[in-house]
Amino acid sequence: MRNIYLIFRRDYLGYVKAWGFWLSLAAVPLFMLIGGAFAAFAAKSSPVRYYAVVESGSVYADAIDAEFARDDEDIGNQAREMAEGMELTDAQRDQLENSSVAPSRKFIRVPAPATAIDDLRPYLLGQQLVSGPLGDKPLFAVFIPSSDGASLEYWSDDVSVSALRWQAENAMRRLARQQALGEAGLDADFLETVDGGALKVPEHRIRTVANQTTTGSKVTMADKAPVYVSVGLAYFLWLMIFSIIQYLLMGTIEERSNKIFDTLLTSVKLEELLAGKLLAVFAVTSTMMVSWGLFALGTSLFATSQIPGGASLLSPFLSALANPAIIVPGLISFLLGYVMYGMIFMALGSLCDTIQEAQTLLSPMMILLMLPMFAIFIAFQDPGSPVIDIASWIPVFTPFLLILRMPHNPPMWEIIAQMLIMAVTAATILWLATKVYRAGAIHGAGIGDLGGVFKRLFSRKKG
Amino acid sequence: MGLPPLVMDHVTKRFGAFTAVNDLSLEVPEGAIIGFLGPNGAGKSTSLRMALGVMQPDSGAVSLFGKPPEIATLKRVGFLPEERGLYKKMTTRATIEHFARLKGLSARDARARAIELLDMSGLGEFKATRISKLSKGMAQKVQILSTLAHRPDFLILDEPFSGLDPVNQQILEDLIRAEHDRGATILFSTHVMEHAERLCDRIVMMARGRKVFDGTLDNAFNALGQGARIAVSEGFDLAAALAPKGFEAQRAPDKGLGDAWRISLRPGTGAQDALRAAIEAGAPIVGFAPEEARLRDVFVSLVGEADAAALLEATPAGEAV
Repeated sequence: MRNIYLIFRRDYLGYVKAWGFWLSLAAVPLFMLIGGAFAAFAAKSSPVRYYAVVESGSVYADAIDAEFARDDEDIGNQAREMAEGMELTDAQRDQLENSSVAPSRKFIRVPAPATAIDDLRPYLLGQQLVSGPLGDKPLFAVFIPSSDGASLEYWSDDVSVSALRWQAENAMRRLARQQALGEAGLDADFLETVDGGALKVPEHRIRTVANQTTTGSKVTMADKAPVYVSVGLAYFLWLMIFSIIQYLLMGTIEERSNKIFDTLLTSVKLEELLAGKLLAVFAVTSTMMVSWGLFALGTSLFATSQIPGGASLLSPFLSALANPAIIVPGLISFLLGYVMYGMIFMALGSLCDTIQEAQTLLSPMMILLMLPMFAIFIAFQDPGSPVIDIASWIPVFTPFLLILRMPHNPPMWEIIAQMLIMAVTAATILWLATKVYRAGAIHGAGIGDLGGVFKRLFSRKKG
Repeated sequence: MGLPPLVMDHVTKRFGAFTAVNDLSLEVPEGAIIGFLGPNGAGKSTSLRMALGVMQPDSGAVSLFGKPPEIATLKRVGFLPEERGLYKKMTTRATIEHFARLKGLSARDARARAIELLDMSGLGEFKATRISKLSKGMAQKVQILSTLAHRPDFLILDEPFSGLDPVNQQILEDLIRAEHDRGATILFSTHVMEHAERLCDRIVMMARGRKVFDGTLDNAFNALGQGARIAVSEGFDLAAALAPKGFEAQRAPDKGLGDAWRISLRPGTGAQDALRAAIEAGAPIVGFAPEEARLRDVFVSLVGEADAAALLEATPAGEAV
């Protein structure tokens, strides 16, 4: 154990003392902060713009206003739905709903300062200002019905902002429907009335009688959190394996090119060397992931503290993480998956003399790693898919897919059998990779010699 | 006397069809300094790697201090590999400390020993310098210090002088003597025979994977016998000219004026007798020297011209053989 620790210590400190490590560590939170701040700034700093509708009455203008009002109502409805899934006091619920129903409009309608486009030109180009609730501003856009009445022309100097035009298109579509319904002798809100009368399809979850009495059948975040947590774990494993490729390849190449193996192998056993190295890379990536995770948790806690009753948003996820039925198979899959992939990469690295040679290996490795990613995606969409059932028995996919299947309560025999398959595969890979590593590190075998290494290995076994 | 630090018993190692080491038997007694000689490709490094258990022999047995090579026994061994290598981003002190700890020293002892060795070898001011910032010779010094840090009972040094300038070669020779005086047994491989002549009390010579000589320096020189070197004008067959007079002459690989020949002297004859016989035979003599026996000549006589030529070619310019 001492030797494993010493190898681990040297490698770990070697990685974390490098500038690149600290840059990577800081990059994700930094980009998240910058991205978040940028998005918030963009939302806040987005200017309120004036627009006008040239018409004799107010049919088009009212239709566009109504479209904006409908959007505001949708946001309020979403807040109410979210509040229903949370354990809130009445006061918190009111606060949450009210906080979401007063969105600030980014487009405000003002009376048209002229009716002809030529007269409106200086206002649209900012040469003249119009008065509105927020003071004098240029006119951002104007809607003018075409002379034949077939279209509502949109005029603006800034054609990169399309939100107002899209609102107007939706409003005109709705207006046309209402006019058609009116001509047919139906109420203008006929379709809304019909929609409102449609049967609701509330979601319920069937539970055992014991659970039914305590939690009811209503579907809450507590029902969905285990799926999100397992997806997170599977993705975390994938990300970790993806991140270690370079560490394991480059680290082994450095030792091979430095001709350091002979010295090391007169001090530690090969198995100790490999275990120390694998642990060091695991610790390096864990340090990064845990740091990022803590940052994400911290920002989540901060964000939820800003929402009334927001703490209850996190509790289902924390409960899912603490659920042994998910976390135990998850962790076992995680560790075995790491050993399987880690040893493959380390063994391949031991066969490379140069970084260029290792780079040629990166593409096939990336492809190998994209396959589990596709499987994770399919499993998230449809965990009961036969493809996922079959793929979960293939050892390279099992670590990811078993984690994803756990919230869906697969049969116990399948869980045990798949864990056994993973354990046997990990042990086999460990054995083979050790042989390949020995051939590369001690005998100087290259990628081209891999076939010969296996041939000798198995012919010796047969012999 | 304790158990011999190293015993290799009829050890053979093959790589495919190539036999790198063929039936090598060797014993290194406690307290000895043994030179392991031979040209590049003779099987020296492979033998040493088998001695350390880094490589397994195809047949035969190896024992270190009476046991098969294993990590526990290897704690008593210091090994300097032929292909030098250190972690380039580590400092000199951390490097020596790391390898000393791997050999069993505590963190505190390893650190103290690293500082002591660096100060002692004149590298004290480079304690916090990364290996990548050092010259090749300095880095090599650090690796040698790493090998000595845990005060090993048995030192195996594979081509320790290679890559060092003459000054550092002398420093290393002194270091080897100091380690020997401390009580360490030393086995070192080299293809530079002068080092072996100066340091060893016993030599083992290898050629084409086989041991061709194992004995003391006196044994080696006695095996060679006395000789003289006569250079004649190109094309003159001195062997044919001297044969009727009872002298045996062989072409020598020396480069110089004319063709060089080595004359083997029978007991009771001297170099002057050989010179006189050559003059009487009408040889166009352009050079003459009584032979001062050197290990190289022993090697040539044991392995023949071809391997000797390989040895000469493998020796960098400026290094005496």
